Amino acid sequence: VSEQAAFEMKVYENQYLPVGGETVDAVLTVSASGAGLRSAATAPSAAEVIMVDCSGSMASPRTKITEAKKACGVAIDTLRDGVAFAIVAGRNDARMVYPVDFQLVPASAQTRAEAKAAVDRLTASGGTAMGQWLSLANTLFAGHPAEFKHAIMLTDGQNQHETPAQLAAVLRACEGRFICDSRGVGADWVARDLLPIASTLLGTADGLEDPRELPAAFQAMTESAMGKAVAEVSVRVWTPAGATVRFVKQAHPQIEDLTARRTEVNARTGDYPTGAWGAESRDYHLSVQVPAGAIGEELLAARVSLVSQDQVLGQALVLANWTDDTALSTKINPRVAHYTGQAELADAIQEGLAAREAGDVETATAKLGRAVQLAAESGHADTAKLLGRVVEVIDERTGTVRLKQKVAGVDAELAGVRSVKTVRVKNT
Amino acid sequence: MATCPGCGVPLPDGEDFRYCEHCGYDLATGEPAPTTGQPDQQKPAGRWLTSAGPPLACAGCGDTWFGVEGYCETCGQRRPSGEPHSELDLGVVAGVTDVGKRHHQNEDAMGIGVLPGTLLAVVCDGVSSSTRPDTASHAAVDAATRTLLDELAGGAEPDRAITAAAGAAQAGAALAAGAQPGTNPPSSTFVCATVSADRVTVGWVGDSRAYWLPEGDGTPACLTTDDSLAGRLAAAGVAVAEHPAGPAGALIRWLGADAPDAAPHVVGFAPTGPGLVLVCSDGLFRYRPTAAELAESVRAAPQDSLLAIAQSLVQLALAAGGVDNITAVLLPFPPPDAEGVPS
Repeated sequence: VSEQAAFEMKVYENQYLPVGGETVDAVLTVSASGAGLRSAATAPSAAEVIMVDCSGSMASPRTKITEAKKACGVAIDTLRDGVAFAIVAGRNDARMVYPVDFQLVPASAQTRAEAKAAVDRLTASGGTAMGQWLSLANTLFAGHPAEFKHAIMLTDGQNQHETPAQLAAVLRACEGRFICDSRGVGADWVARDLLPIASTLLGTADGLEDPRELPAAFQAMTESAMGKAVAEVSVRVWTPAGATVRFVKQAHPQIEDLTARRTEVNARTGDYPTGAWGAESRDYHLSVQVPAGAIGEELLAARVSLVSQDQVLGQALVLANWTDDTALSTKINPRVAHYTGQAELADAIQEGLAAREAGDVETATAKLGRAVQLAAESGHADTAKLLGRVVEVIDERTGTVRLKQKVAGVDAELAGVRSVKTVRVKNT
Repeated sequence: MATCPGCGVPLPDGEDFRYCEHCGYDLATGEPAPTTGQPDQQKPAGRWLTSAGPPLACAGCGDTWFGVEGYCETCGQRRPSGEPHSELDLGVVAGVTDVGKRHHQNEDAMGIGVLPGTLLAVVCDGVSSSTRPDTASHAAVDAATRTLLDELAGGAEPDRAITAAAGAAQAGAALAAGAQPGTNPPSSTFVCATVSADRVTVGWVGDSRAYWLPEGDGTPACLTTDDSLAGRLAAAGVAVAEHPAGPAGALIRWLGADAPDAAPHVVGFAPTGPGLVLVCSDGLFRYRPTAAELAESVRAAPQDSLLAIAQSLVQLALAAGGVDNITAVLLPFPPPDAEGVPS
């Protein structure tokens, strides 16, 4: 794989620590490119399960179910020949749409046509229990030999017909078994259902305001899945004796804290899962606590590798030098500062929205005001725009805002589900 | 399997090599490898030693496993280019270098050499404010010691040999920066001395020094002029401290990828009587800056051997605080007779 797909890793850090300094922060930019990433011949074998919400609400407005059917059709057409797939209808339970048996079938002209015909016959009735849907997907994937397993989940409402604990239990069972991108459509889905799914199953989550956006969204998700060239990639972090990893976070394209996902390789090395990779670029923020060194000492604070099936795809070193030159040690690396700010932005949005929902106007105003300020400072225009639908911005520079009295429910959910999306630091 | 006609080592199968990977024998023309590093038939045999060479065990944790990037696989500390303490002894020339009490690693490096009738020594002091200064000083000492010996063995005048050695030292120090030197690449000072039957010659870049310490009632003298503002003022006759601190003592010339000018100053003289040439770093002379004080310290040292005197000088600096790396190398004038030189 490594011959065709090249992974380039770059480290951004201020390696100079003051006397007594113990924290080393670095942003690692990982970019995958190369001919092998676009060649079907070298692509890993793949499996795809599409879960379509068929609850009663999908019929109002009617465009939701009709566009969802179109979107399924586009996704089915986007599957490579031979990719094993199935379509699942989600209600209070999960039912097979195609094929009829509980299994995956390889994509071909014939199976695609049969699947689209089955999707066309879908009707909207019943409730919503996402755990049931994911559970069926997990069963379908289980035992299948595909190297890369991917699911798409569409919902238009809240997870009403099971408890959050039930969904959480299913997510734990599915973790590491497949990747899932989820989308909310219409006005009634909630970010708190979708974010844990994206987070646990290493996928993306987003909301679509207009059902007519569904076909393009399904196509993009399927294309991205089909473009994955290396399955099961991990970030492997070696740290020296006496050091501890404070956190490992994906910082771009969206924030994902991987710290608790560590699996030990040996006493000084741990793996953090990143899912599958296509031609793409992601940023990781690594923070390591090291024993303070003597002035002039140079320490390898971390060796970061990208590994797939124990093959090293790329490697970078995070260094620490202790100096009494404060001109060196007080500099903050702009990328580290930027992603520290983006993480604070995500927290401010989520905490602000939660306070707003709980009726705590004071906290909501303070948090969302800070979010507006951070979004403006970091040039995060999309987030600034979304926040503008929830608060009235009086001064973005100082973060002075007023909560809007009348807010469409979906505006807050969009702001919530997109709170983890980050922008990259502007090149200066 | 084919073997190299030069050294007899088997040649890799199925590969069309021009040169033997082991000895450099030209397989196309049948010419033997150039004899770099081996005694030339035409040149007198010389011997040399340097303190360059990374320690076997990590100074931080004692483990002996270093990764390819040069860091300890246990505690992560970078493997330095030299040992914290080294003693070099060729009998007729000897030196000691020590990390001192405050520094984390030894950024001083030294080399000594001997040819029939000629002695030589090189001392380089890595500039602490630069990146990985030990890499510059050790690379410079290694390159300069070999070049100086080779040039002198080939019959070059000391002045020319020293200029060539300084050039090699500059190349070594600059290359220590690697492919991306950055804004503050590894840097080092350079000082060397050659002693022959009729002449002492010293060359330097930076603020490491060479002293002439005559036996009897001759007047001891510092042979070098520091490449610092204070050093320039002193050379112009202005009264300044013997070892100035602060901006006046800041280096204005050094070796390294960002060196403004690495051509050495070279001075020589013909001593009228026997004595010792001391080549040293500021870790020593900061405690005994004047030639007279150093001469007194040498006289007070146990006179068993040159190495014993060098050890005593380093001990003196350690006892005085050892705030910097310390290096002292001693060469006698006149050099002992040719038969006294080990071969």
